[in-house]
Amino acid sequence: MNRLIAASGVAVASALVLTGCVAEVPAPVTSAPPMTESAALLEAQSTRIVDATMKELAAADENQDAGLLTDRVGGDAVTIRKAQYTKATGDETPVALPADQQAVYASAADTWPRTLATVSAQASEDETPVIYLWVQDSIDADYQMRGWAHMIPGATVPAMPGTTTGSEQLSLDDDSLDPTAHAVLGDYLSLLREGPGAELNDAFVEDSYRDQLFTARDTLTDAAEEQDGEYMDTVESRTDSTYVMGTADGGALVFAPIAITSSFTVEDATVSIPKADEPLLDGELDDKVTHHYLDMIVMSIPGPDSDAKPAVVAADHNLIKVSGE
Amino acid sequence: MTVRTTALIAGVIGVLLLAAGLIADAQRPPTEVSAVAELTTAVVVYEPEMIAFAEDSTIGVEGKGDLVAVTARPADADAWLAEHEAIQVTGLPEWEVLATAPYGVDAATSASPSPSASPSAEASAASSDEPSASASPDASASPEPEVDLLADTSEDHWRDQWDGTDRLEITASDVAEGETLVVMSRDGSALASTDVGFEREVNDGWITPLIWWGAVLTVIGLIALILRFIDLRPAQAKYEEWTAKRQRTGDVDAELGTRRARRAAGEHLPEASLDEPDEPASAPTPDTGATPATGSTPATPSSPTEPGSATTPDPDTDTHEEGRS
Repeated sequence: MNRLIAASGVAVASALVLTGCVAEVPAPVTSAPPMTESAALLEAQSTRIVDATMKELAAADENQDAGLLTDRVGGDAVTIRKAQYTKATGDETPVALPADQQAVYASAADTWPRTLATVSAQASEDETPVIYLWVQDSIDADYQMRGWAHMIPGATVPAMPGTTTGSEQLSLDDDSLDPTAHAVLGDYLSLLREGPGAELNDAFVEDSYRDQLFTARDTLTDAAEEQDGEYMDTVESRTDSTYVMGTADGGALVFAPIAITSSFTVEDATVSIPKADEPLLDGELDDKVTHHYLDMIVMSIPGPDSDAKPAVVAADHNLIKVSGE
Repeated sequence: MTVRTTALIAGVIGVLLLAAGLIADAQRPPTEVSAVAELTTAVVVYEPEMIAFAEDSTIGVEGKGDLVAVTARPADADAWLAEHEAIQVTGLPEWEVLATAPYGVDAATSASPSPSASPSAEASAASSDEPSASASPDASASPEPEVDLLADTSEDHWRDQWDGTDRLEITASDVAEGETLVVMSRDGSALASTDVGFEREVNDGWITPLIWWGAVLTVIGLIALILRFIDLRPAQAKYEEWTAKRQRTGDVDAELGTRRARRAAGEHLPEASLDEPDEPASAPTPDTGATPATGSTPATPSSPTEPGSATTPDPDTDTHEEGRS
């Protein structure tokens, strides 16, 4: 009995001693280490998104079927591409959209919607690079390509933050920009409405997009007057689909869809439209025809320390519908 | 206390040390320890703080079927987890236990983070573990929609991904700093457990020396114990006889005039003097104080062949004489 007690004592003593031999549990880490890359998307992620988008777009292009644009292409991009498929007849194909990207700009946003923008490689000498815009509406939704625009010849995209921080996701009325993106965009739309003689014309860097718009307006106005008719166009912004990303210098890059309608009316005659636009005609042509455009412009607003003027760096004029009366 | 008794006591101590050392060796805490927590949800979360805490440790998750681990920015993971029931690993209260809490509940405000599942959670886990029992008898029943927790929503926000079957292991250092690790079973079934392997410091360097010292002392005691029961006197007698015989043989052969020859003749040899050099007469005088009284050599007077020493007064002689008388 005594031996048993002694053995138990030795065992208990050993166990107690051994318990004291084990180091204490380490103290918990109470603060999260900072992320090395805090942009919403890293290069690998954005590459996956771009590749999936281009794959879907290529499949739709091959079949000229906008119904295949489901997951990765959405919003105005589907509307525009569908119109381009409709216009394309025979061997004619819609404008090719380059799949290779030379620059990727990811958002830093913790909230939704958030954006991803890229600048494509130059597909050919005759075409300028394309700026694409992707939007993610919620955590459960995929990034969708919502629009694109070819760069204005001679324009440059401002420096954008990399994936270390990502680009700040700004609202149209964000007061970190002075004037706000909403005000600058409003001024540009006013300029488009008023024409080259407006005072605002000097507030923006010259761009070929508005030059072509003004030229077309003058031509159609003259043609309508010759027929005792009338030409009128409207320019409306689509603020719900407009997104603003911060640039490296504190400025902003504004992706703004613009809805333009141009109505051509003649007196005692029937209007005609170019043969290429006929597939988009909705209704019968009589003395009035209205062309509906869904344009995309990308405007650069310089930072507060810059003397540069706001400039449209990319724009596409997309006909989506022709309606007659 | 004799040498034998001392050796026996040392043996007893040795046995105790050896026993303590062997028990301690058997109970030695492992250096590598696995902290475990039971899970009752299909999703388990390791936040950046916990990933930093785990450092180079291996995080394991067990469940049935396809398992997938993904990382994301905390804000993105939080948004995704807001729509999914999940358990997060919050800490290491003990070396073998991981603390858990429902995701979204502040661990600091919870009463006590416990690895055990709540009763309600266990009930739901049990029901989800028995799908075949209800499915197999009724084959005609409408099939349940196939669930893929990962693919049912967008995967764009996930950064890195690991896949496995039944068990999935991820090295914590492979997760980028500041990112949240989310592990899930693809089919939505409850995960079984999660574990983290830690390497801890165990101060067990004393165990091996303790065993060796115990063994040495035990052997000493054992030898003393054995000698206690063996009569060595015959052997001792034989040895002494052999020694004496050997000495006699040597004396006969001693060369005349040598110290051995004089010693064999019974002559006392002069001893080396340690006295002062200015008292040459006392040099050969044996130190009466150091001479054992019981020895065969007479303490005083000195040998007649050295008369000088006999008459030399020794200041200590009286005291020694008195001491012996």
